[in-house]
Amino acid sequence: MLELEIDGKALQVKEGSTVIDAAHQAGIYIPHFCYHKKLSIAANCRMCLVQVEKAPKPLPACATPVTNGMKVFTHSDLAIKAQKGVMEFLLINHPLDCPICDQGGECQLQDLAVGYGSSSSRYQEEKRVVVNKNLGPLISTDMTRCINCTRCVRFTQEIAGEMELGQAFRGDRAEIMPFIEKTVDSELSGNIIDLCPVGALTAKPFRFAARTWELARRKSISPHDGLGGNLVVQVKHDKVLRVLPLENEHLNECWLSDKDRFSYEGLNSPDRLTKPLIKQGGAWKEVEWNQALDYVAHAMRDIVKEHGPDAVGAIVSPHGTLEEMYLAGKLMRGLGSDNIDCRLRQSDFSGRRAGTPWLGMKIAEINKLDRVLVVCSFLRKDHPLIAQRLRQAVKRGAQVSVIHAADEDLLMKLAGKIIAAPSQLPDRLAQITKAVAELKGATCDLSVAVGAEARKIAESLVSGQNAAILLGNLAQQHARASTLNALTQQLAGYLGGRFGFLGEAANSVGGYVAKAVPAGDGLDASRMLTEPRKAYLVIGAEPELDCADGVRATNALTRADSVIVLSPFKSAAALAYADAILPVAPFAETSGSFVNTEGRVQSFQAVNRPLGETRPGWKVLRVLGNLLKLDGFDFASSEAVRDEALGGGAGKPEFAGDLDNIIADVAIDLSPGGGIERVADVPIYFADALVRRAPSLQKTKDAVTPAARMNAATLAKFGVKAGEQLKVSGGGTPATLVAALDVGLPDDCLRLAAGHATTAAVGAMSGAMTVEKA
Amino acid sequence: MGARDLIQTFFLGELRQGLSVTLRYLFSPKITIQYPEEKTPISPRFRGLHALRRYPNGEERCIACKLCEAVCPAMAITIESAEREDGSRRTTRYDIDLTKCIFCGFCEEACPVDAIVESHVIEYHGETRGDLHYTKQMLLANGERYEADIAEARALDARYR
Amino acid sequence: MALIEAINPLLSAGWGKGDAGWGIGEYEQRGGYQALKRILTEKIAPEQVIAEIKASVLRGRGGAGFPTGLKWSFMPKGSGEKYVVCNTDEGEPGTFKDRDILRYDPHAVIEGMIIAGYSVGAARGYNYIHGEIFEIYDRFEQALAEARATGYLGGNILGSGFDFELFAHHGWGAYICGEESALLESIEGKKGQPRFKPPFPASFGLYGKPTTINNTETFASIPFVLRIGGEAYLNLGKPNNGGTKLFSVSGHVNKPGNYEVPMGTPFATLLEMAGGMRGGRKLKAVIPGGSSSPVLPANIIMDCTLDYDSIAKAGSMLGSGAVIVMDESVCMVKALDRLSYFYYEESCGQCTPCREGTGWLYKIVHRIEHGQGRAEDLDLLLDVGANICGRTICALGDAAVMPIQGMLRHFRAEFEYHVEHRKCLVPAELQKAGSTFHTRMMAGAPC
Repeated sequence: MLELEIDGKALQVKEGSTVIDAAHQAGIYIPHFCYHKKLSIAANCRMCLVQVEKAPKPLPACATPVTNGMKVFTHSDLAIKAQKGVMEFLLINHPLDCPICDQGGECQLQDLAVGYGSSSSRYQEEKRVVVNKNLGPLISTDMTRCINCTRCVRFTQEIAGEMELGQAFRGDRAEIMPFIEKTVDSELSGNIIDLCPVGALTAKPFRFAARTWELARRKSISPHDGLGGNLVVQVKHDKVLRVLPLENEHLNECWLSDKDRFSYEGLNSPDRLTKPLIKQGGAWKEVEWNQALDYVAHAMRDIVKEHGPDAVGAIVSPHGTLEEMYLAGKLMRGLGSDNIDCRLRQSDFSGRRAGTPWLGMKIAEINKLDRVLVVCSFLRKDHPLIAQRLRQAVKRGAQVSVIHAADEDLLMKLAGKIIAAPSQLPDRLAQITKAVAELKGATCDLSVAVGAEARKIAESLVSGQNAAILLGNLAQQHARASTLNALTQQLAGYLGGRFGFLGEAANSVGGYVAKAVPAGDGLDASRMLTEPRKAYLVIGAEPELDCADGVRATNALTRADSVIVLSPFKSAAALAYADAILPVAPFAETSGSFVNTEGRVQSFQAVNRPLGETRPGWKVLRVLGNLLKLDGFDFASSEAVRDEALGGGAGKPEFAGDLDNIIADVAIDLSPGGGIERVADVPIYFADALVRRAPSLQKTKDAVTPAARMNAATLAKFGVKAGEQLKVSGGGTPATLVAALDVGLPDDCLRLAAGHATTAAVGAMSGAMTVEKA
Repeated sequence: MGARDLIQTFFLGELRQGLSVTLRYLFSPKITIQYPEEKTPISPRFRGLHALRRYPNGEERCIACKLCEAVCPAMAITIESAEREDGSRRTTRYDIDLTKCIFCGFCEEACPVDAIVESHVIEYHGETRGDLHYTKQMLLANGERYEADIAEARALDARYR
Repeated sequence: MALIEAINPLLSAGWGKGDAGWGIGEYEQRGGYQALKRILTEKIAPEQVIAEIKASVLRGRGGAGFPTGLKWSFMPKGSGEKYVVCNTDEGEPGTFKDRDILRYDPHAVIEGMIIAGYSVGAARGYNYIHGEIFEIYDRFEQALAEARATGYLGGNILGSGFDFELFAHHGWGAYICGEESALLESIEGKKGQPRFKPPFPASFGLYGKPTTINNTETFASIPFVLRIGGEAYLNLGKPNNGGTKLFSVSGHVNKPGNYEVPMGTPFATLLEMAGGMRGGRKLKAVIPGGSSSPVLPANIIMDCTLDYDSIAKAGSMLGSGAVIVMDESVCMVKALDRLSYFYYEESCGQCTPCREGTGWLYKIVHRIEHGQGRAEDLDLLLDVGANICGRTICALGDAAVMPIQGMLRHFRAEFEYHVEHRKCLVPAELQKAGSTFHTRMMAGAPC
């Protein structure tokens, strides 16, 4: 501990602290622009100059390490003069356009200019003008306002992992710019908007929409990936206009992925339903809620009466709230059916689970891992902020290895990498398992030949103290997901490390907790479609895009006697197969809870009023329960539903119980597949119904129409070149797609993104494909 | 009652006093004006009916900074803004509810571009509440109609601002 | 160009043959590489070498004048990756000594760097050569090839078991890359921008490893220091100002060029060596240490001796020894206009006061020069300058301000005249007479 005195206040700080850290600890504010606690220190804005006893000149508080017995004066004449001098320099070339600047009212420069600026300028010369840059559809620029603090540059380099911005030119001609003709395409790019202390970088979708003081700030939880990022949703006149991160060191720190930040645009989509719809005589009709609910209750009761309760199946979106899931399950079981599932993109449900599969550790513990194996994950796109945490771990010396079906640049140094066709991945994982067992001197009954790369990864894994294996979305959606799970379990056992699942969706863990999965011998998401039911209850999902096999889903739903859809949105597909569509509230308009991938239960309130006649999903299901005369549907609040769902008494536990990744009774299948295999990623902005309707995100490079991607050898096999048309089929309707070269793919693999209208009809997300030249 | 009061009463002292005032005013200059044919002079700073001004080239001045909305103590101003096709920041809605307005003039003072002004117009009325809800179109029309007066008043007051 | 009118020339001893004398054979004939041979064959301990350098009070010739021996002793002991870097990014207006050292005596620098590498325990060195003197860069590469061929560079030098490899690296002409940490960034392939210090290069230098970085002239002096002994070297100059130094004399003298004189030589002597004032005009002022040092008027500089302490006492800096002589035909406002433009152009743009301030200063001075000055401008210049000075990451901010402070200290009246009368105090004919460009054109000499 070091002792120092700031403005006469004595305090003790940790070794290695800087003066600005110490001042914050003492509750003394030192003005600054370039300093940011999560970024490296640049000391270039010079706003934080303070006087230090015995130092001949003022020193920057952000870069000056505390020494024992130091005396710092942040408000002495020398310090104030230095700070005012710097403020004058910052303002001389800064335009006086606060009235039209979106940062107005929340601008650090504006705020500090009140304290340190002068009321008139001594600068009588011409001001500098900087040409704006095109940074893509999310970030709007006014580069003349830039004060060259380089926070954005450091963010792209250090946090996002790829230096997409830099400072070019010298002196007052210096400009922040992307590489020529490039935009900022990182999945974390929106954070530079928050980081920019002035109005140089602002949000394009929010441009000129509102002033900060007009907006109500309400806390919420992101409904997208398994992280459960904490949000501040900003609302004006019952319309969500902006989403900002709510700092939470356990989860999203002070960042937010672009998906979480800009998906709110989907809430204002023209696809939003405002009244219940019923199909009568082949035509859709808007009806009142009581009519609609009566209709639905009758339909369900009739089906159960006629065909038995087993003829009903519930398809629940893993992005729905815990309360909706729980009530859906309770409703189904009240009717006598166990056919409910929220694991829509998964296809292998074999094996016996001991509990709820989860991350296996706290998210914050990822930073402390020193050896990591990531199994089958499009990590950057599926879990942008977990990828960021791993990136920081790598910087501190952690070794990360990857086993995957596609070679994706994770923007971090990898210790080892195995890229193989999906059917060969169990074999490769078994190789690593075997190699680790050999290195650890354990007996292993896996009969595989260990390759060099597997041995390299195994050597990396055993060399650390704190190892973990993370199973990504593709591992969970794999045709032999249980085998991968069982092998990982075995591998973690040899390593003495932990393993877990990177939750696919905001409430993937919550689905198990809420029993939105078959509890007994009910049909799972896959069998519900292979063995078509007479009636389906679809909650929040768009099965044609959200299921492992969209074709099968569409067929089953089309053939069913009755399909009841509860969704905030209407879609052409739902209008075709459904009989009733009930408008339920998206996350912003309902109270509820998400259980994130680390098992953390996070409840939230609605941030604005439901649109039109939309009602919160839990209320709709509760009333439906009442109408079906089922017991135990007398909840007065979503909290009451949550408390029952979590099995405890009143009050919310911090974490869900019964988290366990152990799987038993798995027949390990290491056989290789054949033919052309599909590698299906779910692109970041096609992953759920809300983000698919966010127009700005749909303009990004991550949202381009999927192409049929193959490596050079596979392309040559079919005699096509990149850019030519291909006919692709995987059991459904053949689709004509553009062929593209992807050097990161193994031989005989076709990477075809799921979740998109152009590929939905092709077939299942995994399995053999037929490809021919169109 | 003292002797003094008696004398006053006897000689109608109070009546004379009163009539003397009447007499004085009978001959003094008249200050009553014949409104609406005649009008009192108005200070350039007078705060009457609101108007939104335009630049001489016809471009509206307002840039949707919303400072007037923020400063308005009566919350009488409602603004919605968006990016216009040419990329500039503009209002899509600019309403003043004159039933709420207290004519304090803060809006003109806050305006960085002299867009919202209070003109010298006091002769306006509404037959229903809704008539006093001025929209952007109405305010701009006010601005166009009274621009000459507004500009003159601004010029007169310019050196004190 | 006058070369060897030096008193006791050490550094420039071999310059007489001009371009014919730079080769390794010539250098060895002059006694080159003997110091290195002695150190390696007699296995003189690095500490002893450093002690000898310390005894010589050889002060850094790049401008700051930091004692070289002391700098070397800051390097961490023990093994591990370390670097020796030579700073030949000579970009300061008025300075051209390093260029001539590399042109006429590149092996002195190579030998000096090898000795430095030996002393601090580094196995790798870089010479960062300014980006506008590519023929010098080519010559240095040739010298390196010679040294490698002869066995002075590479593995196991002279059978001693000491390895040292030296590389040349050229910049692209940015003045800021002469700042040591910006130079290191530039070698690393990044944008040349100074780093915040501390940490200093001795603990966190090139590629994050301990690095010793010295000026070309400093390295070139090392072999001579060791050849004649530290004490003898010190005695050549003045106490606390050891040895001889090269002065680049430019401006209104008859024979501009590099002159080597012992530290402590009177300025008048140097002026005489340079052939005296051109055209018999009167000396007006001298910038004694490169463009960033404050100007000294004739009466002050004529009483100074050429060493760090005397010039500092007079209110300026010896700096890199670039003596810019200005006669009475010079308009000080115009001179400052050019100087300010240089610093405005060369500011790297990293930290606020320098990025914004140098432009502001230049714009004001430029305005005054062009008859647009305002009465408050001179005080504004000083105040803006004070806001830059000492508030920046590197010394470029200070360097931009010091000429202005110096000019206004000694020649304020000239500036005031400019502001008031919107024209120059120095008559136009006199200015024309003093213009090098003009006289050369008249004489028909090539420029």
